[in-house]
Amino acid sequence: MTTEQVFTDATRASGKALIEVSGVDKFFGDFQALKDININVGLQEVVVVIGPSGSGKSTLIRCINRLEKHDHGTIIVDGIELSDDVRNIQEVRRETGMVFQQFNLFPHLTVIDNITLAPRQVRRMPKKEAEELAMRMLERVKIPEQAHKYPGQLSGGQQQRVAIARSLAMQPKVMLFDEPTSALDPEMIKEVLDVMVELAKGGMTMIVVTHEMGFARAVANRVVFMSDGQIVEVGPPEHFFTDPQEDRTKLFLSQIL
Amino acid sequence: MTATAERAPAPPRASPLGWIKERLFRNVWSGFVSVVLIAVVAYMGYRAFAFVFINGQWDAISRNLANFMIGRFPRDQIWRLVAQILLLGLGLGVGAGTASGTARDKAEESGLTYEPPTLLGTLRRFWSLIAFVVVILFMAGTRGPWLVAGGAVVLGYIGWQSWRLPRTVRLLSWLVTGLLLLAAFQVVSGTDGLAWVPVALVVAMAAWLVVPVDRLDSPWRQLAGLGAAAAGVAIVYLIYQEIAAPGVGWDQWSGMNLTLWWSAIVITLAFPAGLLLGLARRSSLPALRYLATTYIELIRGVPLITLLFMGEFILGFMLPAGTSLSSISRSIAAGTLFTAAYVAEIIRGGLQSLPLGQTEAGQALGMGTPVILRKIVLPQALRAVIPAMVGQFISLFKDSSLLFIIGVTDFLRVRAIVHAQPDFRVVAHAETLVFVAIGFWAIAYAMSRESQRLERKLGVGVR
Amino acid sequence: MLRGVGQVVALAAGAAVVWWLLSNLITNLNRSGIPTDFGFLTRPTQFTIAYAPAFEARSPVWQMVLVGIKNTLLAGFVGILLASVLGLVVGIARLSENWLASRLATVFVEFFRNIPPLVVIIFFGAAVFTFGPLPVLSEAIEISVPGSSDTLLLLSNDRWGIPGFVSRGDVPAYLGVLVVGLAVAALLWIWRTRVNLSIGEPHHRVLWSLAALLAFAVLGYVVLGGPFGIEWPSLSENRRVIASGFAMNWGFLALTGALALYTASHIAEIVRGSIQAVPKGQTEASSALALNGFQRYRFVVLPQAMRIAVPPMINQFLNLIKNTSLGVAVAYAELATLTRISIGNGRPAVQSIVVMMVVYLAFSLTISVILNVVNRRLQLVTR
Repeated sequence: MTTEQVFTDATRASGKALIEVSGVDKFFGDFQALKDININVGLQEVVVVIGPSGSGKSTLIRCINRLEKHDHGTIIVDGIELSDDVRNIQEVRRETGMVFQQFNLFPHLTVIDNITLAPRQVRRMPKKEAEELAMRMLERVKIPEQAHKYPGQLSGGQQQRVAIARSLAMQPKVMLFDEPTSALDPEMIKEVLDVMVELAKGGMTMIVVTHEMGFARAVANRVVFMSDGQIVEVGPPEHFFTDPQEDRTKLFLSQIL
Repeated sequence: MTATAERAPAPPRASPLGWIKERLFRNVWSGFVSVVLIAVVAYMGYRAFAFVFINGQWDAISRNLANFMIGRFPRDQIWRLVAQILLLGLGLGVGAGTASGTARDKAEESGLTYEPPTLLGTLRRFWSLIAFVVVILFMAGTRGPWLVAGGAVVLGYIGWQSWRLPRTVRLLSWLVTGLLLLAAFQVVSGTDGLAWVPVALVVAMAAWLVVPVDRLDSPWRQLAGLGAAAAGVAIVYLIYQEIAAPGVGWDQWSGMNLTLWWSAIVITLAFPAGLLLGLARRSSLPALRYLATTYIELIRGVPLITLLFMGEFILGFMLPAGTSLSSISRSIAAGTLFTAAYVAEIIRGGLQSLPLGQTEAGQALGMGTPVILRKIVLPQALRAVIPAMVGQFISLFKDSSLLFIIGVTDFLRVRAIVHAQPDFRVVAHAETLVFVAIGFWAIAYAMSRESQRLERKLGVGVR
Repeated sequence: MLRGVGQVVALAAGAAVVWWLLSNLITNLNRSGIPTDFGFLTRPTQFTIAYAPAFEARSPVWQMVLVGIKNTLLAGFVGILLASVLGLVVGIARLSENWLASRLATVFVEFFRNIPPLVVIIFFGAAVFTFGPLPVLSEAIEISVPGSSDTLLLLSNDRWGIPGFVSRGDVPAYLGVLVVGLAVAALLWIWRTRVNLSIGEPHHRVLWSLAALLAFAVLGYVVLGGPFGIEWPSLSENRRVIASGFAMNWGFLALTGALALYTASHIAEIVRGSIQAVPKGQTEASSALALNGFQRYRFVVLPQAMRIAVPPMINQFLNLIKNTSLGVAVAYAELATLTRISIGNGRPAVQSIVVMMVVYLAFSLTISVILNVVNRRLQLVTR
């Protein structure tokens, strides 16, 4: 039941997976971080990846936009196969947005410049158009009034929301989240999760690595449990949390819930 | 998931060809750069090879090795230098052993593992120094230098065994190190005149520290410490009255010997001076603070050569008529004045890097300011500045070459002696310069590697 | 309380020592009949300066000081320029993925950082020039311009000649043309920037402006009938001096070349350190946004790296200027050398050295002020 390709209704409807990961291994020196990963993510699917630290969850999504290079197997994003070809990689990165645990906003640029940088340089958007797009994104994440501040002047929650707006401004097909709330103070987690929930409800395809089970229960189509570089169990949240199949999953869930 | 257990894939191994492609020819630009660089390296390698092995006139150096190492030192007193090298070997061995012992103690306490240095590890660590010494020994041709070097290594190894000593004797071990180093200095410079002063200072410090502590700041402890220190000073003085004998004063030291000792002496004198200056700079008394700051900014704004000129031309006038100082003494004074300002800034940086919470914690515990300074602030601050101090010493070592300009025969200026010889008046200039450059480089490189290593070990991060 | 007393005592003791030294100084100077004023500055120097034929022995000493300052700054600026360019290249090479480039850059840095600058200077002075492979001036090596009989470079062990500019016509008019060209370039810059803002097309404004400037430079030259010419270096009739072109003496070349190499090794380390200090997350975020390598460097990495690099680089510039004082070793007529010569010629030592120190202090204070201004402007805005 675990590594079987499980498609959601939406994917079956379109007939094709947005992201196909087949037989992927990843080594750091002699240490194997990913072992034979097979997973497909369909259009408008929200996949939440959970697992103990060191299980390879971050490595997996970083392989999808080539921040890490996978060693065996194939990764296909929106029909483009990831290879060493730079143009390939750039195409994939245009279609994927990533939100980091440490926000990684550009501290020397204002919020609006942070957001408009990539659309202007990569998609050759004129400045005015890019700024209008940026303001729309800022409104989507509910902080339009911060447009001309610098990241250093914002709270953690605001910075992460700017980071989300920055990725959205490139109008990606899929958003990758690498533990987006792990570096936030508790009172700011909710504001970021709310934005993510709204994104999901709006139909964005998302892969989210997180410890926030509430989020998973609310919007995930599938929950994936990884441990020691392998996908141990996959399932819809209704079944996953109430009736896990594998022992390792049960152990992990008992530790965190 | 079940499939994984049977497959066991292997990590990708890079083939040599793959490495070349990846590292040298990844793209067109990289390939072009690689080709150009290979050509350049090949040509320079060929020229260097010819220079070193074929047409270089290295006899200018092999015939002048003694000059390079000890310059104009009176040749009949060479036994002093031999004794110095042996004592230095022993002293540095004991010092290294004691430091190693202290490191082991700390590791034991905190549960970390201590990795004792291996022979291979030490060879790799100091490869530039060892290579330089070996090359010189081979050039020397005679057996004498080999015996001396071997003796120093053996004594160093014996001294190294001090790491086995129990913790209670550590302080004594440090004292012995200090005395051995001083002895190495005085076996050449002589034990007459003021020679007893530095030894008395070291013994007094050790005596003060050895007096057992029962309560912090008990007045009896202070008194007992002072008494022990005074007793130490008296004993040393009396001993020196007995063994007073003139030696070869530092005015006659030259060559590499002078370069090394000059740097060591200047940093030793500049450290307490710089410490006091650094504290003065943070003093609550505005006049003191203002003067210290002015001095520091003044010195740091001018090149060392101006101070050396001051020493050469002005210092003589500042002393009562009739007193004369040798060139070397004047340059040491100038160097100390110069370095003290930089040491003061380093210490200021160290003091500032200490979180305010440390002083506040001490105050909350009811300690007075001098105690806080001595027991909390200074130990941490001084530990934090060790890498910067080593860097300053390396700088000083390189700056010692400026002695050349004021006519003192340091390692660099020995070339003047060599090229005054009829055989080498117009030839071998490049060879002697390369030799001098490599001599400086071998030592400075080894020190700079040690400094980086220290920085890593002390965990003092670079911001 | 005790501490306060201790500080007062320290202050008093220090003051007493200084007072004692100074009074000795004045007494001894007076006794030796050496003047204690600065009048010597207006009296004739009584020696000439090598390679500076315009300076006469009867010129007052303060003019000699000016020559020293000018030479110091000349070596300083040229050295800073060369060191910055070389240091930048080597620093970036150290981070290159090309193994050869990064290794060679490392060797360069580790070599020059660990030898005294004086050794490098003397190496250039002795092994390249004075006792080196270059011939004497009368038999200088003449490297011709390819395809003609004019000399491009004159190389000897004493002086080098490079092409110089000489006025042959209406130079002010040409300068006027250049100014117009600059204005046009500026307008083009603005226009291209507007285009980029409005329709998003890459502005390439640097290329456009440079092309315009070049066009004006060339056209102006042609139209005005060659208002200036290149004067090729050549030897005089008696083959004793360089009669045309621009001459550089060996002291300048040795000092500047050596300091450029030495300081470049430090600047390379600063450049490397500053680029490595930019957090990895910044490059990851810009990669994730599909910015290519050049865009990453230009918009994200370099702006942040420069903030970190500028203060220590300015410090290195100051060090280079202070190190020009080593020109004494190659008899280059910068301030320290001239001071030393003039003291040797009987000028009062104390005052001369004071003048020298004041000048160097002026340099370093100026640079400190610049550093502070730059530091303030580089601060990132935080709350």
